[in-house]
Amino acid sequence: MAEPTAAASDRARAFLKAHRKSFRNAGIGGIAAAVVFLIVYYLGLEGVYDLSLAARILPALFQGAETTLGLVAVVIPVGFALGFLFGFGRTSHSWFVRSVCTTYVEFFRGMPPVVLVWFAFIIIILLITNVEFLNVRIQDPFAFATFMSVLALAAHSGSYQAEIVRAGIMSVPAGQREAAEAIGMTRGATMVRITLPQMLRVSLPALGNEFASVIKDTSILSVVGVMDLTFRGQNIVSRLFTSPTGGSLSSIFVVWVEIAVLYFVMTYSVSRLLQWLEQRYRVPGLEAAQL
Amino acid sequence: MIEVKNVHKSFGDLHVLRGVSLNVTKGEVLVMIGPSGSGKSTLLRCINLLVQPDSGDVFIDGVKVNSREVKPEWVRQQVGMVFQSFNLFTHLTALKNVEIGLTRVKKVNKEEAERVARFELERVGLADKADAFPAQLSGGQQQRVAIARALSLNPKAVLFDEPTSALDPEFIHEVLDVMAKLADEGMTMIVVSHEMGFAKSVADQVVFLEGGTILETGTPEEIFNHPKTDRMRSFIGKILG
Repeated sequence: MAEPTAAASDRARAFLKAHRKSFRNAGIGGIAAAVVFLIVYYLGLEGVYDLSLAARILPALFQGAETTLGLVAVVIPVGFALGFLFGFGRTSHSWFVRSVCTTYVEFFRGMPPVVLVWFAFIIIILLITNVEFLNVRIQDPFAFATFMSVLALAAHSGSYQAEIVRAGIMSVPAGQREAAEAIGMTRGATMVRITLPQMLRVSLPALGNEFASVIKDTSILSVVGVMDLTFRGQNIVSRLFTSPTGGSLSSIFVVWVEIAVLYFVMTYSVSRLLQWLEQRYRVPGLEAAQL
Repeated sequence: MIEVKNVHKSFGDLHVLRGVSLNVTKGEVLVMIGPSGSGKSTLLRCINLLVQPDSGDVFIDGVKVNSREVKPEWVRQQVGMVFQSFNLFTHLTALKNVEIGLTRVKKVNKEEAERVARFELERVGLADKADAFPAQLSGGQQQRVAIARALSLNPKAVLFDEPTSALDPEFIHEVLDVMAKLADEGMTMIVVSHEMGFAKSVADQVVFLEGGTILETGTPEEIFNHPKTDRMRSFIGKILG
């Protein structure tokens, strides 16, 4: 029997070798970030800004970031599911399905997200307060209305993603579907095995764009009182203003910089994840052939 | 084997097929020629129901296939098809392209599907390219994989829609050779092609289609050397250069 440890170390070495570039880039990035951090920290020690304030507000901002992550975990999957459903629907042969899906896209795409969030919130509150049936059953109307606002934001993102999905489906040449049907595949199997894998590859960059944008759009939910990252930040800023010492412009700036960094970390992680997926499912030779 | 009776097909105002009939017996090779827009591709697609005929009948082994009782998926397993632009699935390797009909349509188990797929690739001379993606293959190699894919379901006949007209001249031969070998092995084939050399040496029957009707039909010798109509004569003159 071969020694499993030897095989494992071989595999580890092969892995390191295959990803040498990625490790090098990650290393350079890490060092650069550390250098920037040290410079900023040094400036704080020198009293250019209020270092103790910067540290003091972090726990609250982290809590906000956690909430934002929770929102993202709802909005992205729900938005993607809606986008997929309605985008696929817009390529349907049935006029009825097509019209329903087009209406969805045009409605949600045509509304500013902040308006949608308010509409969802207000409509739910009005319904719950005026309809006896709901009034009795829904214990916490505000929590429910807030949740519907989150879904409204997901629907907004979904309308954009529907167009991305539709473009992806249309980018797959008709000959691919014809060839699949010519070997006896059903419409459904053709969709799942042939159109979908090709369409997703094409759509990844555009989806990455939309995901990055929707992460930041969750800040809109602070208008209905969701205590996300932006909401917490604004709270801190307004408390700075009312504090006896008064908020200096530089301390307000510190708050917003920390918020920006936290959003950036989230957005960047998602964009790296999608880049990794793109690489992982790259089809050898295809880029050259498409030139 | 394949019988087409008085088939009509229109796309909107365009009357593409105006009553076409043909009959191909088992093991026979029929070559279809004609100017572009004459309905050759549409006629091929009416046979495996990629296009549904408006009227007329299509029989495969005596079964009327353009009827509600027959599933198009079944018909397509009886008759394979090879396209002008290959249409290999770009995200799958050559092997997976050939396997997918077996695993997803015939529901054959993985080992058996791979065995058959490797055998079919061997048959078109591409056993060593099993793991290549279509974009890594030349046009000729792609078309041979497409032929292997069509053969994987063990069809009773294969339809070829201008299989060499998208190819660089240097690759035309390898594809025609595979097709000639297939004809030798007794495969029933309907080929839309203007490769006269192939038609002369392999075809049992040549059909000249124009304006959605069959203008002339006969052996290669009759059609190419003794065309009956002026139209046929001028067309032959043009394609022979």
